[in-house]
Amino acid sequence: MSTELWIAVIACAIGTLLMRVIPFLWMQRRLNSDTGINNMPQWLGILGPLMIAAVLGVSIMPVNPSAIAWIATAIGLSVTLAVWTRLRSLGWPVAAGVAVFGLVQMAAYI
Amino acid sequence: MSQPARHTPIRSTVKGVREAIPLLGGYIPVSLSFGLVATQAGFSTWEAAAISALIYAGASQFLFVGMVAAGSPLWLVVAMTLLINVRHVVYGPNLASWLPPSRHWPWLMHGLTDQVFALALTRLPQLSAPERFSWFMGASLLAWGVWIVGTVVGATAGETLTARWPLLGEVMPFALPALFLTMVAPRFTDKRWALAMGCTILSALLFTLYGWSNVAIPLAAACGALCFYIVKFQTGARTL
Repeated sequence: MSTELWIAVIACAIGTLLMRVIPFLWMQRRLNSDTGINNMPQWLGILGPLMIAAVLGVSIMPVNPSAIAWIATAIGLSVTLAVWTRLRSLGWPVAAGVAVFGLVQMAAYI
Repeated sequence: MSQPARHTPIRSTVKGVREAIPLLGGYIPVSLSFGLVATQAGFSTWEAAAISALIYAGASQFLFVGMVAAGSPLWLVVAMTLLINVRHVVYGPNLASWLPPSRHWPWLMHGLTDQVFALALTRLPQLSAPERFSWFMGASLLAWGVWIVGTVVGATAGETLTARWPLLGEVMPFALPALFLTMVAPRFTDKRWALAMGCTILSALLFTLYGWSNVAIPLAAACGALCFYIVKFQTGARTL
């Protein structure tokens, strides 16, 4: 890589790091100030869970979209939800969902 | 007296590592792909690893190598890369109340990706205060380390791996939607939240389907927030 390209990489790295660090430190200082925890804006508390929902929506898109991939996704998500409803944990629902998703994909290949 | 022994930093770190393992189902195939794409774009293995270690943001890394390979001006490459990562601005403030003050945050926040944020926002409130710092360190360092190793493997043996196990690259990424579903599901007990979450998921999926994947997360979250503020249920509705 040329020097210019290294500078571009470092600029992107520093910029991305600052976008992660500065708002965090700003909010921590604000929360630790005399005004206390109630000072956190309500919209931030709403936007956090919605960002996770958005990441879910983006990740639902199969790697290679096809009818089988969409069916496998629907079945995999249903199984994940069913296992979560029963166990209310993170690990087993994910393992069950991935296993069923993989089985449906494999069945389609056979 | 046995209480402090249960919250040793090592135990909390291991807990963070263990709970971040489902994230790897998404990290490994994407980092392998990035390594492969970067070498095909003319970067060496260690240059690709350096990009993964320093920038550490999936979509923007692909954009970076793609634009460089296409000969775009470097100022535009930097601007576009940073623009895609603007969504990260919201993540830190949401975790601020759950994490203790520490001089190490300027470095540890480097690990705050979409996936680590989603996991941390769900798990941190369930952990005791002394566990949270070490838990975050374990979870974020595992994800970062695997991302870099995946890039190196992808750059050196990506083509061989994807040719030998093509199905692996399709099945493993499903760990991410499955994981996020388990994080989002508890919010569906409240009508107002259920509608906002449903609107967000659907709009994110639609934006991605129509090729707007780079802006899908902030735009979909904005749609969901709009829905949350506009639609109010008269009876049986609970507010935030």
